[in-house]
Amino acid sequence: MHDEFQSTQWSEVINAGRNSSPESRQALESLCRVYWFPLYAYARRRVPTVDEAQDVTQAFFADFLEKNSVASARPERGKFRAFLLASFKNFLSKYWEKKRTLKRGGGQTVLSLNFELADSQLRIEPTGGLTPDQLYDQQWVIALLGQILNRLKDEAEQNGKSDQFRELKGFIVGDHQESTYAQVAERLDMTEAAAKKSASRMRKRYRELLREEIARTVLGPEEVEDEIHNLFAVLNL
Amino acid sequence: MTSLKTCPTCGEELPSNAPSGICPKCLMQVGMESENQPRSYEDPRVATVDQGGRFRLPELAALASRFPDLEIEDLLGQGGMGAVYRAKQIRLDRQVALKIIRPDSADDPSFAKRFEREARTLARLNHPNIVAIYDFGDVTLTGDDGAQQTLYYFLMEYVAGANMRQLMQGGELNATRSLSIVSQICDALQYAHDEGIVHRDIKPENILVDVHGRLKIADFGLAKLLTEQVAEDVLTGTHQVMGTLRYMAPEQMAGSHSVDHRADIYSMGVVFYEMLTGDLPVGRFEPPSKRATVDEQWDEVVLRALEAEPKRRYQSASDVKLDVEKMTSDNLVPSPDNVRPNDKVRPDARIAKPSQASTINFALITLGTTQLMLGLPLVFIALMVPTQLVFFWIGLGLTLGGAGCCALAFADGARIPRETEPLYGMLILGGIMGFIGTVILISIPLTGHGFVNFHSNNPLIWVGGGLFLGGGGCSSIAWMGEPAASEATVRKS
Repeated sequence: MHDEFQSTQWSEVINAGRNSSPESRQALESLCRVYWFPLYAYARRRVPTVDEAQDVTQAFFADFLEKNSVASARPERGKFRAFLLASFKNFLSKYWEKKRTLKRGGGQTVLSLNFELADSQLRIEPTGGLTPDQLYDQQWVIALLGQILNRLKDEAEQNGKSDQFRELKGFIVGDHQESTYAQVAERLDMTEAAAKKSASRMRKRYRELLREEIARTVLGPEEVEDEIHNLFAVLNL
Repeated sequence: MTSLKTCPTCGEELPSNAPSGICPKCLMQVGMESENQPRSYEDPRVATVDQGGRFRLPELAALASRFPDLEIEDLLGQGGMGAVYRAKQIRLDRQVALKIIRPDSADDPSFAKRFEREARTLARLNHPNIVAIYDFGDVTLTGDDGAQQTLYYFLMEYVAGANMRQLMQGGELNATRSLSIVSQICDALQYAHDEGIVHRDIKPENILVDVHGRLKIADFGLAKLLTEQVAEDVLTGTHQVMGTLRYMAPEQMAGSHSVDHRADIYSMGVVFYEMLTGDLPVGRFEPPSKRATVDEQWDEVVLRALEAEPKRRYQSASDVKLDVEKMTSDNLVPSPDNVRPNDKVRPDARIAKPSQASTINFALITLGTTQLMLGLPLVFIALMVPTQLVFFWIGLGLTLGGAGCCALAFADGARIPRETEPLYGMLILGGIMGFIGTVILISIPLTGHGFVNFHSNNPLIWVGGGLFLGGGGCSSIAWMGEPAASEATVRKS
């Protein structure tokens, strides 16, 4: 899975345009696999029933990946985050028109989407006055961070440091009252200084991965810091 | 850990799908910080930022090791942009102030260049009312994890005293001291503005007063250096700059690119208002004299400095000083600080102009009314006696010329404020008397035997002449206004 992550770039997908290759199509698919949930959260706010929201999300991705929608995307359309939502809105409006003729479940399943898990998360999600667009953006950030932490976890596993990840991941965001470095160090059977150093390395790697992951969804490296600020602002709504 | 409902770091509620059970907000916060930024976790060797977004300073020892020429004594204060330490420059054996800039404020690839350019400009400022900059540069701190952090600093003149906020809170500002402060702020700003430097962040915290009562403005131009960051901080709320916003000119708050020295004049107006009333001029505010026992003369000065439209404000700090000194020269003894050898009181055009203008206006009014007094009766008589049509044309010319002259004088008089108000009722009475007198006088030779009619037995001569002279006298007294009344307002305080 890791190689796929590294090679997948939104900018490459968009540059491939009409001459999409199997690689660029696969790249798009891998991006969709990470970021489908925010879109589903959006659909749940837009579509009256759960079943219909699931159908429309599934149908959208089938359509999105099949029809090579990206061919119509021009580089100035910008970030993947914006493009995906714009495409979905477009799809939704056509969907309302065609609703009568579209049979339930008629859409072909291209991505296997775990709606059951998604709904267990969404049902208790406080939507606190957010617009569907804001909800989409917030869920986007959470999907993005989840992706990064999964990669951190995978990397730790590969290096045989799963226990370190488990104990120290909380320290990525800073010190807290839950447990001290000394307690964690004891549990991990290492010195406090080594635990600190390990947490610091993890934090550093987290920052790298965050930039790497965001770079996949924007058009150029110069947009990364800007997007980080945007996403931070999204969470503070 | 994943079952926790609130984030142990920031205390906010965790969303149910928080990635690996970690607070997404905190994750993004940490992610935003680059290697050169303050850490959100404790590391005493570098500058950090605590959960409230407050700047936590590196340990004194860690900092001191980077400044071998200084003996860093203690922390003087901490603001939105950084922190200031009191230090001793060992070799020169003098007290200095060391200001370090928040590392996240400097997190911008172009910062180093801008910092150097601005610091050089600021170091050129040499004025007794401006905190002098001795040196500037950057040092590198190394954290626990070996990561490096660059801290930018200024080495500045140390001012032993208090800032204006402290003076206001301590109730230590009496009328004389306030005047001295106003005048010194004006001097400092005028000097800097002449040098092309706008402060951009005038507020009581930046105005220091030393033990001898001498005022020093600190942090000139720093706001410009950090503008982009500050703007961002307002948006993301990462640190407290709202205090500063209250002193900002409207055009500055709107992010206008055309902010000039007049923004400082506005901020100065806010400081004066606060100094006089203890309140900030927010929303629809009352003039200072309505809020506190302050001479009404302050109202005009403060309100003009606080005009929302830069064009309607005072156009220079020295103008403010002139108006303040003018209004106070009668009833308040200026403090000795007011008079210093290097005061840059320029021969200002505004002093010469009004008196010149009023001389010109006086001549215009005299000429205008004379013409009107002759012209109007001529027209009137010519209409009564149709054979004398030539008088009609002469009269009409004189009337139009006179009206023009008067109009010019009045228009100019309206532009430049008069010290006295003309007595309009008396002016009209005088005009009517003069008009009737002139009609009578001119009509004398037109009837009966021509100029033979001019002899002392003719009562018309006395009546006409009396009315003419009386009307003229009346008008000129009315035009002068009532000087006694305005003197009374000056003395009232």
